[in-house]
Amino acid sequence: MLEIKNLNKSYIGKQALTQVDLKLEAGEIIGLFGENGAGKSTLMKCILGYLQYQGQILLDGEAVTRKNIARLSFATSEHSFFPNLTAGAHKDFYEMHFPDFREKRFRGLMEFFDLSFQKPLKSFSTGQKNQFEVILALCQGADYILMDEPFAGNDIFNREDFYKVLIGILEPKETVLLSTHLLEEVENFIGRAVLIRHGQIVGDVSMTELEEEGKTLVGYVKETYQYKADRVSRALSDLTDEA
Amino acid sequence: MKWKNLQSKMESLVPAGIDLQQELKWIRILLTASFLYSFIFLLALSNAYQGLFIYVAKKKVLMDGAIMPDFVKLLGNSLAGFLITVLSMIGILLYHYLYHFQGSKSIYLMKRLPDRWELWKRCLSLPILAALVSFCIAAVLLIVYFGIYLLITPEICLLPNQWEKIWEAFFKAGRHI
Repeated sequence: MLEIKNLNKSYIGKQALTQVDLKLEAGEIIGLFGENGAGKSTLMKCILGYLQYQGQILLDGEAVTRKNIARLSFATSEHSFFPNLTAGAHKDFYEMHFPDFREKRFRGLMEFFDLSFQKPLKSFSTGQKNQFEVILALCQGADYILMDEPFAGNDIFNREDFYKVLIGILEPKETVLLSTHLLEEVENFIGRAVLIRHGQIVGDVSMTELEEEGKTLVGYVKETYQYKADRVSRALSDLTDEA
Repeated sequence: MKWKNLQSKMESLVPAGIDLQQELKWIRILLTASFLYSFIFLLALSNAYQGLFIYVAKKKVLMDGAIMPDFVKLLGNSLAGFLITVLSMIGILLYHYLYHFQGSKSIYLMKRLPDRWELWKRCLSLPILAALVSFCIAAVLLIVYFGIYLLITPEICLLPNQWEKIWEAFFKAGRHI
Protein backbone atom coordinates (compact mmCIF):
# COMPACT_ATOMS: atom_id res chain seq x y z
CA MET A 1 0.00 0.00 0.00
CA LEU A 2 1.17 3.51 -0.83
CA GLU A 3 0.15 5.80 1.97
CA ILE A 4 0.34 9.58 1.91
CA LYS A 5 -0.10 11.19 5.31
CA ASN A 6 -0.60 14.89 5.95
CA LEU A 7 1.43 15.90 2.91
CA ASN A 8 2.18 19.58 2.57
CA LYS A 9 4.21 21.19 -0.14
CA SER A 10 4.83 24.85 -0.75
CA TYR A 11 6.79 26.68 -3.36
CA ILE A 12 8.07 30.17 -2.68
CA GLY A 13 5.01 32.04 -1.49
CA LYS A 14 2.54 29.45 -2.77
CA GLN A 15 0.96 26.48 -1.06
CA ALA A 16 0.89 23.70 -3.66
CA LEU A 17 -0.41 20.84 -1.52
CA THR A 18 -2.26 21.11 1.78
CA GLN A 19 -2.77 18.24 4.21
CA VAL A 20 -3.08 15.57 1.55
CA ASP A 21 -4.06 12.16 2.91
CA LEU A 22 -4.38 9.33 0.44
CA LYS A 23 -4.09 5.57 0.42
CA LEU A 24 -3.46 3.61 -2.75
CA GLU A 25 -4.19 -0.06 -2.25
CA ALA A 26 -2.38 -2.68 -4.32
CA GLY A 27 -4.17 -3.50 -7.55
CA GLU A 28 -6.21 -0.31 -7.80
CA ILE A 29 -6.50 1.85 -10.90
CA ILE A 30 -7.03 5.38 -9.68
CA GLY A 31 -7.79 8.45 -11.72
CA LEU A 32 -6.39 11.71 -10.36
CA PHE A 33 -8.35 14.68 -11.60
CA GLY A 34 -8.12 18.43 -11.20
CA GLU A 35 -7.65 21.65 -13.11
CA ASN A 36 -4.29 22.76 -14.37
CA GLY A 37 -2.22 23.80 -11.38
CA ALA A 38 -4.41 21.90 -8.93
CA GLY A 39 -1.39 19.95 -7.64
CA LYS A 40 -1.59 16.63 -9.51
CA SER A 41 1.94 16.71 -10.87
CA THR A 42 3.30 18.09 -7.61
CA LEU A 43 1.70 15.21 -5.73
CA MET A 44 3.32 12.66 -8.05
CA LYS A 45 6.69 14.39 -7.87
CA CYS A 46 6.51 14.34 -4.07
CA ILE A 47 5.71 10.61 -4.11
CA LEU A 48 8.75 10.00 -6.34
CA GLY A 49 10.97 12.11 -4.12
CA TYR A 50 11.72 14.74 -6.75
CA LEU A 51 10.44 17.46 -4.45
CA GLN A 52 11.01 18.18 -0.78
CA TYR A 53 7.82 18.09 1.28
CA GLN A 54 6.41 17.98 4.77
CA GLY A 55 4.50 14.91 5.83
CA GLN A 56 4.90 11.20 5.22
CA ILE A 57 4.84 9.01 2.15
CA LEU A 58 5.06 5.33 2.98
CA LEU A 59 5.38 2.32 0.72
CA ASP A 60 4.14 -0.71 2.65
CA GLY A 61 4.98 1.13 5.85
CA GLU A 62 8.45 2.25 4.79
CA ALA A 63 9.63 5.62 3.55
CA VAL A 64 10.36 5.78 -0.17
CA THR A 65 14.12 5.49 -0.54
CA ARG A 66 16.55 4.16 -3.13
CA LYS A 67 15.98 0.74 -1.62
CA ASN A 68 12.35 0.56 -2.70
CA ILE A 69 12.15 3.27 -5.36
CA ALA A 70 12.17 0.62 -8.11
CA ARG A 71 8.67 -0.30 -6.94
CA LEU A 72 7.51 3.04 -8.36
CA SER A 73 7.55 3.92 -12.03
CA PHE A 74 6.63 7.15 -13.72
CA ALA A 75 5.32 8.15 -17.14
CA THR A 76 5.05 11.85 -17.79
CA SER A 77 3.98 13.99 -20.71
CA GLU A 78 7.34 15.75 -20.26
CA HIS A 79 8.95 12.37 -21.07
CA SER A 80 11.72 10.84 -19.04
CA PHE A 81 13.54 8.79 -21.67
CA PHE A 82 16.79 9.64 -23.45
CA PRO A 83 15.94 11.18 -26.85
CA ASN A 84 19.23 10.09 -28.43
CA LEU A 85 18.90 6.44 -27.43
CA THR A 86 17.02 3.79 -29.37
CA ALA A 87 14.19 1.80 -27.82
CA GLY A 88 16.50 -1.22 -27.75
CA ALA A 89 19.15 0.73 -25.84
CA HIS A 90 16.46 1.83 -23.37
CA LYS A 91 15.57 -1.80 -22.81
CA ASP A 92 19.23 -2.54 -22.01
CA PHE A 93 19.43 0.47 -19.69
CA TYR A 94 16.27 -0.52 -17.80
CA GLU A 95 17.35 -4.15 -17.55
CA MET A 96 20.65 -3.02 -16.08
CA HIS A 97 19.00 -0.84 -13.42
CA PHE A 98 15.67 -2.52 -12.74
CA PRO A 99 16.07 -6.25 -12.06
CA ASP A 100 12.31 -6.87 -12.40
CA PHE A 101 12.13 -5.34 -15.88
CA ARG A 102 9.40 -7.10 -17.86
CA GLU A 103 11.16 -7.95 -21.09
CA LYS A 104 8.32 -10.03 -22.52
CA ARG A 105 5.77 -7.29 -21.85
CA PHE A 106 8.13 -4.75 -23.39
CA ARG A 107 8.51 -6.73 -26.61
CA GLY A 108 4.78 -7.37 -26.77
CA LEU A 109 3.85 -3.71 -26.35
CA MET A 110 6.54 -2.53 -28.77
CA GLU A 111 5.16 -4.91 -31.34
CA PHE A 112 1.55 -3.98 -30.61
CA PHE A 113 2.23 -0.28 -31.09
CA ASP A 114 4.54 -0.98 -33.99
CA LEU A 115 7.45 0.99 -32.54
CA SER A 116 10.97 0.64 -33.88
CA PHE A 117 13.72 -0.84 -31.72
CA GLN A 118 16.45 0.70 -33.83
CA LYS A 119 15.44 4.32 -34.28
CA PRO A 120 16.44 6.94 -31.71
CA LEU A 121 13.49 8.22 -29.69
CA LYS A 122 13.94 11.76 -31.00
CA SER A 123 12.81 10.52 -34.43
CA PHE A 124 9.48 9.23 -33.00
CA SER A 125 6.27 11.23 -33.40
CA THR A 126 4.78 12.82 -30.26
CA GLY A 127 2.21 10.05 -30.05
CA GLN A 128 4.89 7.37 -30.36
CA LYS A 129 7.00 9.09 -27.72
CA ASN A 130 4.04 9.04 -25.35
CA GLN A 131 3.44 5.39 -26.10
CA PHE A 132 7.04 4.55 -25.43
CA GLU A 133 7.05 6.57 -22.20
CA VAL A 134 4.08 4.56 -20.95
CA ILE A 135 5.57 1.28 -22.16
CA LEU A 136 8.70 1.94 -20.10
CA ALA A 137 6.63 2.72 -17.01
CA LEU A 138 4.60 -0.44 -17.47
CA CYS A 139 7.62 -2.65 -18.06
CA GLN A 140 9.93 -1.41 -15.32
CA GLY A 141 8.55 -4.06 -13.01
CA ALA A 142 7.08 -1.53 -10.58
CA ASP A 143 4.12 -2.20 -8.32
CA TYR A 144 2.94 1.41 -8.41
CA ILE A 145 2.78 3.05 -11.81
CA LEU A 146 2.32 6.82 -11.76
CA MET A 147 1.20 8.43 -14.99
CA ASP A 148 1.03 12.19 -15.37
CA GLU A 149 -1.10 13.04 -18.39
CA PRO A 150 0.67 10.41 -20.43
CA PHE A 151 -1.57 10.61 -23.48
CA ALA A 152 -1.35 14.34 -24.18
CA GLY A 153 -0.92 14.52 -27.93
CA ASN A 154 -2.20 11.03 -28.76
CA ASP A 155 -5.23 10.54 -30.97
CA ILE A 156 -8.43 9.02 -29.61
CA PHE A 157 -7.91 5.60 -31.27
CA ASN A 158 -4.48 5.40 -29.85
CA ARG A 159 -5.68 6.23 -26.38
CA GLU A 160 -8.51 3.72 -26.60
CA ASP A 161 -6.00 1.04 -27.57
CA PHE A 162 -3.90 1.92 -24.61
CA TYR A 163 -6.73 1.69 -22.11
CA LYS A 164 -7.65 -1.74 -23.43
CA VAL A 165 -4.07 -2.92 -23.37
CA LEU A 166 -3.63 -1.59 -19.84
CA ILE A 167 -6.65 -3.43 -18.52
CA GLY A 168 -5.48 -6.55 -20.31
CA ILE A 169 -1.90 -6.65 -19.12
CA LEU A 170 -1.99 -5.32 -15.57
CA GLU A 171 -1.45 -7.92 -12.91
CA PRO A 172 -3.48 -7.94 -9.67
CA LYS A 173 -0.73 -6.37 -7.58
CA GLU A 174 -0.01 -3.57 -10.04
CA THR A 175 -1.46 -0.20 -9.06
CA VAL A 176 -1.93 2.71 -11.46
CA LEU A 177 -2.34 6.34 -10.48
CA LEU A 178 -3.36 8.15 -13.64
CA SER A 179 -3.55 11.91 -13.82
CA THR A 180 -5.58 13.09 -16.79
CA HIS A 181 -8.20 15.56 -17.98
CA LEU A 182 -9.88 12.94 -20.14
CA LEU A 183 -12.64 12.10 -17.67
CA GLU A 184 -15.09 10.41 -20.02
CA GLU A 185 -12.41 8.28 -21.62
CA VAL A 186 -11.07 6.79 -18.44
CA GLU A 187 -14.41 6.46 -16.70
CA ASN A 188 -14.78 2.80 -17.57
CA PHE A 189 -11.17 2.00 -17.04
CA ILE A 190 -10.52 3.30 -13.52
CA GLY A 191 -11.83 1.87 -10.29
CA ARG A 192 -11.58 4.99 -8.19
CA ALA A 193 -11.50 8.72 -8.75
CA VAL A 194 -9.57 11.20 -6.64
CA LEU A 195 -10.22 14.91 -7.12
CA ILE A 196 -7.72 17.54 -6.21
CA ARG A 197 -8.34 21.27 -6.10
CA HIS A 198 -6.05 24.08 -4.96
CA GLY A 199 -3.71 21.45 -3.53
CA GLN A 200 -6.36 19.68 -1.46
CA ILE A 201 -8.14 16.39 -1.94
CA VAL A 202 -11.76 17.41 -2.44
CA GLY A 203 -13.18 14.11 -3.61
CA ASP A 204 -12.38 10.42 -3.37
CA VAL A 205 -14.91 7.94 -4.67
CA SER A 206 -14.99 4.43 -6.09
CA MET A 207 -16.57 3.99 -9.49
CA THR A 208 -18.86 1.34 -8.00
CA GLU A 209 -20.24 3.93 -5.56
CA LEU A 210 -20.82 6.35 -8.42
CA GLU A 211 -22.54 3.66 -10.41
CA GLU A 212 -24.79 2.78 -7.49
CA GLU A 213 -25.73 6.42 -7.10
CA GLY A 214 -26.41 6.62 -10.81
CA LYS A 215 -23.83 9.35 -11.32
CA THR A 216 -21.27 9.78 -14.07
CA LEU A 217 -17.69 10.73 -13.36
CA VAL A 218 -18.13 14.05 -15.15
CA GLY A 219 -21.26 14.70 -13.09
CA TYR A 220 -19.45 13.88 -9.87
CA VAL A 221 -16.54 16.16 -10.76
CA LYS A 222 -18.89 19.04 -11.65
CA GLU A 223 -20.82 18.52 -8.45
CA THR A 224 -17.70 18.42 -6.32
CA TYR A 225 -16.26 21.45 -8.04
CA GLN A 226 -19.64 23.21 -7.71
CA TYR A 227 -19.53 23.84 -11.42
CA LYS A 228 -22.08 26.43 -12.46
CA ALA A 229 -23.58 25.16 -15.67
CA ASP A 230 -25.05 28.55 -16.52
CA ARG A 231 -21.80 30.49 -16.12
CA VAL A 232 -21.07 30.48 -19.85
CA SER A 233 -24.53 31.72 -20.84
CA ARG A 234 -24.40 34.37 -18.09
CA ALA A 235 -20.95 35.50 -19.20
CA LEU A 236 -22.09 35.67 -22.80
CA SER A 237 -25.17 37.65 -21.94
CA ASP A 238 -23.02 40.03 -19.87
CA LEU A 239 -20.68 40.45 -22.79
CA THR A 240 -23.45 41.05 -25.27
CA ASP A 241 -25.40 43.28 -22.86
CA GLU A 242 -28.56 41.21 -23.16
CA ALA A 243 -31.25 41.81 -20.64
CA MET B 1 35.43 -7.59 -29.12
CA LYS B 2 37.76 -5.97 -26.56
CA TRP B 3 37.30 -2.59 -28.25
CA LYS B 4 33.53 -3.01 -28.12
CA ASN B 5 33.70 -3.85 -24.41
CA LEU B 6 35.88 -0.82 -23.74
CA GLN B 7 33.52 1.39 -25.70
CA SER B 8 30.48 0.13 -23.83
CA LYS B 9 32.36 0.58 -20.53
CA MET B 10 33.19 4.16 -21.54
CA GLU B 11 29.59 4.79 -22.57
CA SER B 12 28.44 3.75 -19.11
CA LEU B 13 30.55 6.60 -17.72
CA VAL B 14 28.75 9.37 -19.61
CA PRO B 15 25.07 10.36 -19.82
CA ALA B 16 23.10 7.81 -21.81
CA GLY B 17 22.92 8.71 -25.48
CA ILE B 18 25.52 11.48 -25.36
CA ASP B 19 28.02 11.62 -28.25
CA LEU B 20 31.04 10.15 -26.47
CA GLN B 21 33.28 10.26 -29.55
CA GLN B 22 32.61 13.96 -29.99
CA GLU B 23 33.48 14.65 -26.34
CA LEU B 24 36.65 12.56 -26.56
CA LYS B 25 37.60 14.45 -29.73
CA TRP B 26 37.30 17.81 -27.93
CA ILE B 27 39.30 16.55 -24.98
CA ARG B 28 42.01 15.30 -27.35
CA ILE B 29 42.07 18.69 -29.10
CA LEU B 30 42.41 20.50 -25.75
CA LEU B 31 45.20 18.21 -24.56
CA THR B 32 47.06 18.41 -27.89
CA ALA B 33 46.79 22.21 -27.93
CA SER B 34 48.02 22.33 -24.32
CA PHE B 35 50.93 20.06 -25.20
CA LEU B 36 51.93 22.15 -28.21
CA TYR B 37 51.58 25.36 -26.21
CA SER B 38 53.98 23.96 -23.61
CA PHE B 39 56.73 24.06 -26.26
CA ILE B 40 57.11 27.77 -25.54
CA PHE B 41 59.18 26.60 -22.57
CA LEU B 42 61.63 24.90 -24.94
CA LEU B 43 61.80 28.09 -26.94
CA ALA B 44 62.48 30.17 -23.82
CA LEU B 45 65.06 27.63 -22.66
CA SER B 46 66.78 27.67 -26.02
CA ASN B 47 66.97 31.49 -26.00
CA ALA B 48 68.26 31.58 -22.41
CA TYR B 49 70.82 28.91 -23.22
CA GLN B 50 72.06 30.82 -26.26
CA GLY B 51 72.36 33.91 -24.04
CA LEU B 52 74.92 32.14 -21.86
CA PHE B 53 77.45 32.15 -24.65
CA ILE B 54 79.32 34.59 -26.78
CA TYR B 55 81.07 33.89 -30.02
CA VAL B 56 84.76 34.54 -30.12
CA ALA B 57 86.31 33.90 -33.51
CA LYS B 58 83.29 31.83 -34.48
CA LYS B 59 83.74 29.72 -31.37
CA LYS B 60 81.01 29.47 -28.77
CA VAL B 61 82.40 30.50 -25.40
CA LEU B 62 80.61 30.59 -22.05
CA MET B 63 80.35 34.12 -20.79
CA ASP B 64 82.01 35.00 -17.49
CA GLY B 65 79.44 35.09 -14.70
CA ALA B 66 76.66 33.92 -17.02
CA ILE B 67 73.61 32.77 -15.05
CA MET B 68 70.77 30.67 -16.36
CA PRO B 69 67.39 32.11 -15.33
CA ASP B 70 65.42 30.03 -12.83
CA PHE B 71 63.51 27.06 -14.23
CA VAL B 72 60.18 28.42 -13.01
CA LYS B 73 60.86 31.72 -14.75
CA LEU B 74 61.53 29.96 -18.03
CA LEU B 75 58.57 27.69 -17.51
CA GLY B 76 56.30 30.74 -17.18
CA ASN B 77 52.76 29.82 -18.16
CA SER B 78 53.76 27.17 -20.67
CA LEU B 79 51.69 24.55 -18.82
CA ALA B 80 48.66 26.85 -18.50
CA GLY B 81 46.90 24.96 -21.30
CA PHE B 82 46.57 21.96 -19.02
CA LEU B 83 45.05 24.12 -16.29
CA ILE B 84 42.58 25.51 -18.84
CA THR B 85 41.76 21.93 -19.84
CA VAL B 86 41.07 21.05 -16.21
CA LEU B 87 38.87 24.12 -15.77
CA SER B 88 36.96 23.44 -18.97
CA MET B 89 36.01 20.07 -17.51
CA ILE B 90 33.71 22.00 -15.15
CA GLY B 91 31.88 23.08 -18.30
CA ILE B 92 31.61 19.47 -19.47
CA LEU B 93 30.30 18.46 -16.05
CA LEU B 94 27.59 21.12 -16.25
CA TYR B 95 26.76 20.07 -19.80
CA HIS B 96 26.42 16.46 -18.66
CA TYR B 97 23.94 17.44 -15.97
CA LEU B 98 21.95 19.79 -18.21
CA TYR B 99 21.89 17.12 -20.93
CA HIS B 100 19.23 15.38 -18.81
CA PHE B 101 16.89 18.31 -19.50
CA GLN B 102 17.39 18.42 -23.27
CA GLY B 103 14.55 17.13 -25.42
CA SER B 104 13.01 15.35 -22.42
CA LYS B 105 13.35 15.21 -18.65
CA SER B 106 15.53 12.12 -18.41
CA ILE B 107 16.60 13.61 -15.09
CA TYR B 108 13.36 12.09 -13.71
CA LEU B 109 14.57 8.64 -14.65
CA MET B 110 18.09 9.21 -13.38
CA LYS B 111 16.78 10.49 -10.05
CA ARG B 112 14.70 7.41 -9.42
CA LEU B 113 17.27 4.77 -10.23
CA PRO B 114 17.96 2.39 -7.36
CA ASP B 115 21.65 3.26 -7.69
CA ARG B 116 21.83 6.77 -6.22
CA TRP B 117 25.30 7.36 -7.70
CA GLU B 118 24.45 6.54 -11.30
CA LEU B 119 23.59 10.14 -12.21
CA TRP B 120 26.78 11.49 -10.65
CA LYS B 121 28.88 8.68 -12.07
CA ARG B 122 27.67 9.59 -15.54
CA CYS B 123 28.07 13.35 -15.03
CA LEU B 124 31.44 13.33 -13.29
CA SER B 125 33.49 10.38 -14.56
CA LEU B 126 34.66 11.72 -17.92
CA PRO B 127 35.47 15.26 -16.69
CA ILE B 128 37.38 13.86 -13.71
CA LEU B 129 39.25 11.35 -15.87
CA ALA B 130 40.14 14.03 -18.41
CA ALA B 131 41.24 16.41 -15.64
CA LEU B 132 43.43 13.68 -14.14
CA VAL B 133 44.97 12.88 -17.53
CA SER B 134 45.60 16.59 -18.07
CA PHE B 135 47.19 16.89 -14.63
CA CYS B 136 49.36 13.80 -15.20
CA ILE B 137 50.60 15.02 -18.60
CA ALA B 138 51.42 18.40 -17.04
CA ALA B 139 53.30 16.68 -14.19
CA VAL B 140 55.25 14.44 -16.60
CA LEU B 141 56.11 17.43 -18.82
CA LEU B 142 57.22 19.40 -15.76
CA ILE B 143 59.62 16.61 -14.80
CA VAL B 144 60.85 16.13 -18.38
CA TYR B 145 61.33 19.87 -18.91
CA PHE B 146 63.13 20.18 -15.60
CA GLY B 147 65.36 17.29 -16.62
CA ILE B 148 66.17 18.99 -19.92
CA TYR B 149 66.87 22.24 -18.06
CA LEU B 150 69.31 20.53 -15.71
CA LEU B 151 70.86 18.53 -18.50
CA ILE B 152 71.67 21.39 -20.83
CA THR B 153 72.50 24.10 -18.28
CA PRO B 154 76.23 24.26 -17.44
CA GLU B 155 76.52 23.56 -13.74
CA ILE B 156 78.36 26.83 -13.13
CA CYS B 157 75.40 28.78 -14.52
CA LEU B 158 72.76 27.12 -12.36
CA LEU B 159 71.23 29.10 -9.55
CA PRO B 160 70.74 27.13 -6.34
CA ASN B 161 67.47 25.73 -4.91
CA GLN B 162 65.72 25.14 -8.23
CA TRP B 163 63.56 22.34 -6.90
CA GLU B 164 62.46 24.41 -3.91
CA LYS B 165 61.58 27.27 -6.23
CA ILE B 166 59.35 24.98 -8.25
CA TRP B 167 57.43 23.99 -5.11
CA GLU B 168 57.27 27.61 -4.02
CA ALA B 169 55.80 28.62 -7.40
CA PHE B 170 53.42 25.68 -7.24
CA PHE B 171 52.04 26.67 -3.84
CA LYS B 172 51.88 30.32 -4.87
CA ALA B 173 49.81 29.38 -7.92
CA GLY B 174 47.65 27.16 -5.74
CA ARG B 175 46.92 30.07 -3.42
CA HIS B 176 45.94 32.26 -6.41
CA ILE B 177 43.53 29.60 -7.66
